[in-house]
Amino acid sequence: MSDQPPIPRPEQIPLPPAPGQRRIVLPPHRQRSRRPRSVRIREWVRKNLFPSRNGTLLTLVAGAILAGILVGVAYFVFVSANWEVITHNRWLLFAGGFPQGEAWRLWVSIAIVFTLIGTAYGTWSSMGRRDHLFVALVGAFVIFLMAHGGAAAWSTIYFLIAVACLYGGYLFTVRLPRETSTLRTWQQRIVGGLLALSLPIVLVILLFGGEVGPRHIDGFVLNLILAPVGIVGGIVLGIPLAMGRASSMKTISWTCTAYIEIVRGAPLLGWLFVALFILDDIIGGDLIIRAMVVMAVFTGAYMAEYIRGALQALPRGQYEAAQAVGLTQTQRTRLIIMPQALRISIPPMVGQAISIWKDTTLVSVILPLRELKGNADSAIAQFEFTPDRIEAYVFVSVIFWIVAFMMSRISQRVERAQGIGER
Amino acid sequence: MRLPSLKSRRLVSALMFAGAALIAGALIGACTSDDDDQQAQAVEQQQQVMQQQQDQPQAQVSGEPRGNTIQLVQDRGTLKCGVKQTQPLFGNRDADGNVTGFDIEFCKAIAAAVLKDADAVEYVDASDASTRFELLADGQIDILIRTTTITSSRDMELDVDFAQTTFYTGQGFAVRKDSGINSTSDMANAAICVQTGTTTEQNVADHFTDIGLNYEPTGGLSQDVAAAFFEGRCDVLTADASDLASRIVVRDDADDYQILPQIISKEPLAPGVRDYDSDWKDVVNWVVHGLIRAEEIGLTQANVAAMAANPPNTEVARLLGVPFEGGSVSTLGFDAVDAQFIQRAITAVGNYGEIYEREIGDAIERDCTLNALARPLPSEAVDCGPGEGGILYALPYR
Repeated sequence: MSDQPPIPRPEQIPLPPAPGQRRIVLPPHRQRSRRPRSVRIREWVRKNLFPSRNGTLLTLVAGAILAGILVGVAYFVFVSANWEVITHNRWLLFAGGFPQGEAWRLWVSIAIVFTLIGTAYGTWSSMGRRDHLFVALVGAFVIFLMAHGGAAAWSTIYFLIAVACLYGGYLFTVRLPRETSTLRTWQQRIVGGLLALSLPIVLVILLFGGEVGPRHIDGFVLNLILAPVGIVGGIVLGIPLAMGRASSMKTISWTCTAYIEIVRGAPLLGWLFVALFILDDIIGGDLIIRAMVVMAVFTGAYMAEYIRGALQALPRGQYEAAQAVGLTQTQRTRLIIMPQALRISIPPMVGQAISIWKDTTLVSVILPLRELKGNADSAIAQFEFTPDRIEAYVFVSVIFWIVAFMMSRISQRVERAQGIGER
Repeated sequence: MRLPSLKSRRLVSALMFAGAALIAGALIGACTSDDDDQQAQAVEQQQQVMQQQQDQPQAQVSGEPRGNTIQLVQDRGTLKCGVKQTQPLFGNRDADGNVTGFDIEFCKAIAAAVLKDADAVEYVDASDASTRFELLADGQIDILIRTTTITSSRDMELDVDFAQTTFYTGQGFAVRKDSGINSTSDMANAAICVQTGTTTEQNVADHFTDIGLNYEPTGGLSQDVAAAFFEGRCDVLTADASDLASRIVVRDDADDYQILPQIISKEPLAPGVRDYDSDWKDVVNWVVHGLIRAEEIGLTQANVAAMAANPPNTEVARLLGVPFEGGSVSTLGFDAVDAQFIQRAITAVGNYGEIYEREIGDAIERDCTLNALARPLPSEAVDCGPGEGGILYALPYR
């Protein structure tokens, strides 16, 4: 973030024209676009792949290894693997014991979440070619999965409706004016409010009413519920904890410090044991609710430390300036301190979010709950699929990767929209 | 806003205080119970049982009475059955997410007997071997039916009591047919795939010490060691013989493998209940014996209704809890479980042989194995009839 002009790399410095040769020297950023595409490609290949003898050697070796891996993967995916273990167990992996008659609850939840993702993207960012490609690839993957092996056609239709909701929300909001105005402020407030409300709404749809209850949450749906509850609950707990730890009132500061250090000091696995055998007698309720509480409490301790780090990183001048213009403590925190602190702490918080997303698999290791990985274990315990365990685990990893990658991409957008790194 | 500089002494005392508070909270929480009706009743029952046991100081010293599980189950209206969900044939889940398998049939039978509804079962996942006994002791499940071997140490040291064995197996060895291995004496320095952290691992170590040979163990989880064996990373795979059979028979190249006749351990798999609750254990025991007896005397899911309407003899009448030729109804049964509980179990899942055929018959041979009926008696067995030549022997129901 220095203010010095960047030092140009040698290849960016325009060479003086050779004697006797007439040449128009363009500024570096214009040079490439003027030359024909084929020349540019050749140039790029030569410069990046075959720059020298050793470089060429390295490219060839790396290329051979890469090709070998690709061929191996392709052979596995298209020839040797028996994907029936996945297509046959679609429902088991996705929702497990969730009553199939109540599947509409899942689809409504998905549609709500998709609409809000689209709306948020349209409000604060825009979708590039890569985003469309990602949606198309994931969509094709899901549709292939549902269409293969005779799934009900309606599930494909519902999924398409959900994707339409995503684009509907996006296309609607992306065309609204972006200039700062009262209308724009209200748009942001409404979308933000809906985002905040979506989690409780989805939880109510999925957990209550009809035949469903907390103990029916199963399979991938369980991961999809546990992680957001852990992340959102963690942030909600983390903000007061961070402020409390930084407080000058000793009782509050000690309490918050004790909370953070105790919770962070033991592994999540241990806290899940607490949820299973100790919280049982203290707060009772369904195990899944206890697991949610533990996830939020655990994440909260980490989030608090990231936010506290951000609070410490804020220049003292910010506090003093806010004080100088006569803001009260609450106003200072709400208007000056927290917005900046939260913005700084986005990258580590996203890291923690991705980590907690993957940690949701721990619930089926320790708790009598079955999430995606646990249900994959059940799928390969089906008599006819016992030889197909690699397929099941590859599938589970791909699913986890897709969601983690999405979280990472969205956070990059949020960072850019918030101007992190540009200050 | 000044960030506080915490002195380490204060931090330590704060931590200690919080830790003490946490432990105190946990203890208080463990001692108090919700004002939930069922739990209050359970506590009341526990107190009653405790009072009854005042005269028996021995029982009071060695174990805390667990109340009356039959009552608990009936008040709740569902049976909480701890099952494994990752064991081929015995306990796993189908594509629709339902729990299925050999063990699960016994959950249904017990629910039918005690609650008059085979579907009134809440399956609690007890796939994790390390927490299964705690789930039972903690009261989160009423019964553990999860391919659990009865061993003296488990019975004596843990808060678990085992009912009648539902499946007898033993540790065996699988090899490739062309390997030339016919018994463990051919396995000098062989690479053996064995699941780590189990009695299986201990058994094989003991056995090779006994026969004075060396071997090379390759460890992992049960699915992993099986995969390692089929990929050729070890010469021998050892596990329960039933598990070996089920993993081999599904393979396209099943003919390339064989299971050696040699069995080096006893693995009786039985339902577990909490210690000091003999009525509940009795119900479980007699449901299992009843299902075996039903097979012995030819009662099936299909004919049980007709037999109950018109019992051919006094024994069938007694087993099904119906009057014989206008006589009085058998008074066998429990205070809270009427005399027809075995009839309901048979109606729900069929007799033992039917359960076996339906759930594991395709994969694991039954005739002439331990899990067949003891007829003819093992000592005289030369040719076993269908489902015969084993050690299943129902106790007399009278």
